[in-house]
Amino acid sequence: MPRWSSYEIPVDTGLFTPLGLQPAAVCRLGFNAAGRWLARHVISHRRLVAEYRTGVVVWSAQLAFDEPVGFFDADWLEMRVTGRVRGAGTQFECEVEVGGPLDTRARLQACCVPLRLEGDPALSGIPARLGSDVMAAFLPDEIEARPHRSPVPGLRAAVVRHGAALARGRMPFLIHRHQCEVADQWFWPEAISLAAGGREELVQAEAERVPVLLSALRTPVRRLDLLFNRPFFLFDEGAVCSSAYEWEGRLVFIHELVGSEKDQPRALVTEQFSLPTERAWD
Amino acid sequence: MIVHVNGALLRFTDYRRVISVDAPTVGAALTRLADEYRPLHPVLFDRRGRLRATHRIFLNGELLAPDQLASPAADTDSVELLLAISGG
Repeated sequence: MPRWSSYEIPVDTGLFTPLGLQPAAVCRLGFNAAGRWLARHVISHRRLVAEYRTGVVVWSAQLAFDEPVGFFDADWLEMRVTGRVRGAGTQFECEVEVGGPLDTRARLQACCVPLRLEGDPALSGIPARLGSDVMAAFLPDEIEARPHRSPVPGLRAAVVRHGAALARGRMPFLIHRHQCEVADQWFWPEAISLAAGGREELVQAEAERVPVLLSALRTPVRRLDLLFNRPFFLFDEGAVCSSAYEWEGRLVFIHELVGSEKDQPRALVTEQFSLPTERAWD
Repeated sequence: MIVHVNGALLRFTDYRRVISVDAPTVGAALTRLADEYRPLHPVLFDRRGRLRATHRIFLNGELLAPDQLASPAADTDSVELLLAISGG
C-alpha cells in the first residue's frame, strides 16, 4: 500500500476568498505537504537539493474541488498526502487532499520532473532520473512504470474545437521576487494567481457584453489544469492571454502565460466553472 | 558588445541587466564578464572552465551552439544570457 501522511492545519483568513479555499493556497499547502511526505518517507527536500544535487520542478498539475470549503466551516483543515515515482524515475508525483467538514475536499495532483543540479549557486539543472539511492526509499507500490501524461493539450484542443468562444483578453505582468522561490524562479502556484488575474480582468472588461462570464466571479472554480513548459524568472516580463469558452455546459478559460519570445507559451492554465444551468459535475 | 543578463543570473551581477563588455568574441565576453563579476564565474563555468550546459546564449537574437562561442562580435552586437531552468 502506498504510504499516506495525515495532519491538520488551522484555518486562517488568508487561505480563503469569499467563495472558498484559494486555489493558489491549496497548491502552496500541497507542495509543502509533498515536502513533508518526502521528508518523512524518502528524504527531505533540502537534503535532496543540497546532498543529492537533485531538484524538482512542477511540470503538470490538476486541482479539483468538491463542494466549496469556506472559512467559517471548520477550525482545522485535514491534509492527506502521498507520493510516488513514475516513468522509471523521470517523474515524482504527489497527491494531496485538503479536507473540510462533511468530507468536502480539494484534490491536487502535481507531477514534478527531477533535475540533476550542476552544483552552482544558481541551482541550474537539467532533467534527469532520480538516483537509485533515492528510488530505493520508495515502496514497490509507490513506483509506477507508466509516466504521467498532461490532460491540458487534449482539453485545450477539445474546448477550442467544440466550445463557443465568448471573449479574449491580455494582461501584462512582471515577475517580482515575492512571487519567486529560492532560485529566483517563479514559484509555480503563481501561475494560478496570474491566470486568475487575467480572468478577472477579462470578466470585468467583457461582462456587460457577455453576462455569462460573471459566473467566473460569482462561483468558485471547480477544476484547474496546469502545464509548464518553461519558468519565468525574476523581473521577466510576460502576459496572460486569456480566452473564455462555453463548453459542455461549463465556462472554461484557457490562459496562455507568454514571455517575450515568440515560441510556445511558458505555461498553460485552464479553469473550469459551473454554469447556472449545470446540474451535475463529472 | 552589450550583454543582457536576465532572471536568476541577476543577483550574480549585482542586479545589472545591461553590461557593456569589450571583447573580440562572445566566449571572450563571457569570460571577461565572469572576471568582472566573480560570483557569476561558478554559475557560468564548471571547474574545467567550460560553459555549463544549462545556459542559453543568444547573439543578436540567434541561439548559439556551444561551438559558436568563438564567433566574433562587434561593439554594437547584443548578447543575451538565459538560464534555462533551476531546481529550487
